[in-house]
Amino acid sequence: MSPVKMNVLPQAILQSPGEHPRFVKQPVCPPLDFARIHLIKDKDGIDDYLAKNIKGLSKQEAAANRNSYTKNICIDMLRRGYHKSFSELFTLIQKWNALREAAGPGSAIWHEKSLEEQPDKLDQLYHFLTRAEAAQRAGLYEEVYDNQLNLACSFEEPEDKWLSDYFYEQCFNTAQLVKIDGGKRKAQAHVNMGLINEGHGHVMEAAEHYEAFYQLTEGSSWTDETGHTYNLLACEHLWRIYTLLADKMLENKEHQEAIKTLIKALKMAKEAGNVKMEGEAAYCLSLAYHFSGEQQTALSILNTSLAIFTALRDSAGLGRAYAAAAKILASQGKSAEALKYLGEFMKDAENAHLSQSVVDANVLLGKVHNERGNYIEAFEYFSQASEAARTLNSVPLVDETKAYCGIAKAHQLMVAFNSHVAAEDPVSLKYLLAWKENRSDMCADPLTVELDKETSASKPL
Amino acid sequence: MAGRPRCELCGSRPAPRLCPRCRLVRYCSALPCVSLQKSIVEVAVSAAQRFLWEGKALEALPAALQALRFSARVFGWSSVQLVPVYLLLAEASTGTGNLRQASKYLSEAEWIVLQSPDCPAAVQSRLHRGLGLFCIAQGNLDQALYHLATDVYLATSAFGVDSIEVSGGYFHMANIFLRQNKVDVANSLYTEVTRLWHSWLLSSLQEHQGRLRRLRARAEAAPWADDEEVAEEGMTEAQGEEARRVLQALLGVRKKQQLPQETARVLHALAMLHYLDLDLEKAREVGMKAFDLAKELPQQDSLETIGHLLELINANFSHTK
Repeated sequence: MSPVKMNVLPQAILQSPGEHPRFVKQPVCPPLDFARIHLIKDKDGIDDYLAKNIKGLSKQEAAANRNSYTKNICIDMLRRGYHKSFSELFTLIQKWNALREAAGPGSAIWHEKSLEEQPDKLDQLYHFLTRAEAAQRAGLYEEVYDNQLNLACSFEEPEDKWLSDYFYEQCFNTAQLVKIDGGKRKAQAHVNMGLINEGHGHVMEAAEHYEAFYQLTEGSSWTDETGHTYNLLACEHLWRIYTLLADKMLENKEHQEAIKTLIKALKMAKEAGNVKMEGEAAYCLSLAYHFSGEQQTALSILNTSLAIFTALRDSAGLGRAYAAAAKILASQGKSAEALKYLGEFMKDAENAHLSQSVVDANVLLGKVHNERGNYIEAFEYFSQASEAARTLNSVPLVDETKAYCGIAKAHQLMVAFNSHVAAEDPVSLKYLLAWKENRSDMCADPLTVELDKETSASKPL
Repeated sequence: MAGRPRCELCGSRPAPRLCPRCRLVRYCSALPCVSLQKSIVEVAVSAAQRFLWEGKALEALPAALQALRFSARVFGWSSVQLVPVYLLLAEASTGTGNLRQASKYLSEAEWIVLQSPDCPAAVQSRLHRGLGLFCIAQGNLDQALYHLATDVYLATSAFGVDSIEVSGGYFHMANIFLRQNKVDVANSLYTEVTRLWHSWLLSSLQEHQGRLRRLRARAEAAPWADDEEVAEEGMTEAQGEEARRVLQALLGVRKKQQLPQETARVLHALAMLHYLDLDLEKAREVGMKAFDLAKELPQQDSLETIGHLLELINANFSHTK
């Protein structure tokens, strides 16, 4: 299940919604006891089977030998009166065939086995569909739901997603008819439909389902198989979906709407009691305020985020949050204040021995100095970042910091270079040409070296 | 209208050859023995079928045998085309109480199907229905269920999950379950049969209305055109007869139970059937019963449709009066 992509807020703060919550234990389907005789390939196998099970083949068993497993299962369903199960199974088989035709040769599904060629899946469908039908005839909708949920949970492979999604939808429809469980099944159905919608990118529909889930579970004590309360799950899903919605709003420059939504997200994170989530939510909210121009509010909310991430020793969060702080202060023209903030960051990072954060802090400081034109300080900080990065043994990180060093160095050279270009006299031109021929990336400034050479050469006049 | 004469057998023009006996009927240039024999088969089969519907199994036998003889002449003794005829013979024999003979005919049919690797699923399903009905006559209900289940599976493969061809198998299975006192299974199947016929009749009605509109539009646009007979693509006689029998039987079952919603649905279906049969009196009578029942129901979604039907019936009544 791929999460929805975010375009404004950082993708990293969302974890994938993950699998459907575990509301029931993994279903076990007992093997069917009637003939799988057509699957037995060799004569010994058949003789063995016959010796154990049959005293001579009846006409029906002979026919069963000729038929496909699907045909045998269907006929068995029908003769026991389970016509709805038959119709549903037949329709599912046709649905898979249609999906395959639509995808065409060369697609992933083209080479997969159809349902008809997977006896285990057919067995599961037989077992649970017939039980659901019997329950439906008796008006026991909670049992119908349970059997459908078992089917939805048992098809976990990615290529069976269409099948499990189908049964989650059936669960949802059935759950509306269950009156005896205080809404527990309805709640389950809502969260599962929310996940399916989210997986397809239908964020608004997903939000509606998660909100329904939240309302149905408020004050309840229901827990899933991992011990989490339903209400906690609701808060987590709502935090995530509100963040996704806000991202779209920010993309469309609907800042006030985004702020309202992110405030809701923050509330959910707090209710879930998840501190990291709360930190991320505060960070996103402060970004939204920053985009809408309310820099002071943005900064004050960001401070909450910084406090949380510091307490949690969360490098990734700290890096992002301090970068945001620097950006906000820069937009207010307060670069001195930015340097103060980042100085604090550096101190905290060193005290807490967070190497990644040390790198981040140095890089941020270097960037601020770079903006202000203090290229020598910038270069110093970037070099320190590079040193710290080396201790982390992360090649990409080291390369990144080296690139920053290069940028600072280049800016430094630019000053001298620009002044020579601006001078527009033949002497400056000579120096420039000499430098171009003798290009080196060493720390010593080649221009002054050349200048000395030339001046010493042209001295005796 | 003295237009150019058509061939008596195949309907094509020109038809220059005159019948040597009566000197009135004309045939087209190629007088294929085959086409004459084929039409004999058709006539014999429909005669046999009609006798069976009227409960005259004994009279059906000679017609069915004639059909068999000519079918074999045209198609050969191992042709799949003989299967429906053998099934008729089996039904007629069962009707006269000659189960041994019926069993022989069924074996012949089964043999042909087994020998024909590409026998269409539709024919196979008919065979199993015949076998199932025979088992019922023998009192072998479990075996009958097996055959009828196979019938349903094959009919679904041939015609689709919601097709009318599937309803026959379901209906007979429901009867068996009722006899075995499995009432909820039987009811579930009866409901399904009602649903299938109801929706089939509804769409037949809509098609019929559409056809009438087109005919009227054509007549208005070109009133001087030849009054050609347009091929009626509606219900076949066999489908109509099956619908009538099944719906009457369903009505009988439902009347004994306290299921007004289902009874209303059956009555609605019957009313539509009578309308399509052009029996407006009966259509109105049954339609009113359906409407009265539907009014009392908590869910009134069917009321509107029944109302439309009654309006249609009344409109046509005033036309014909």
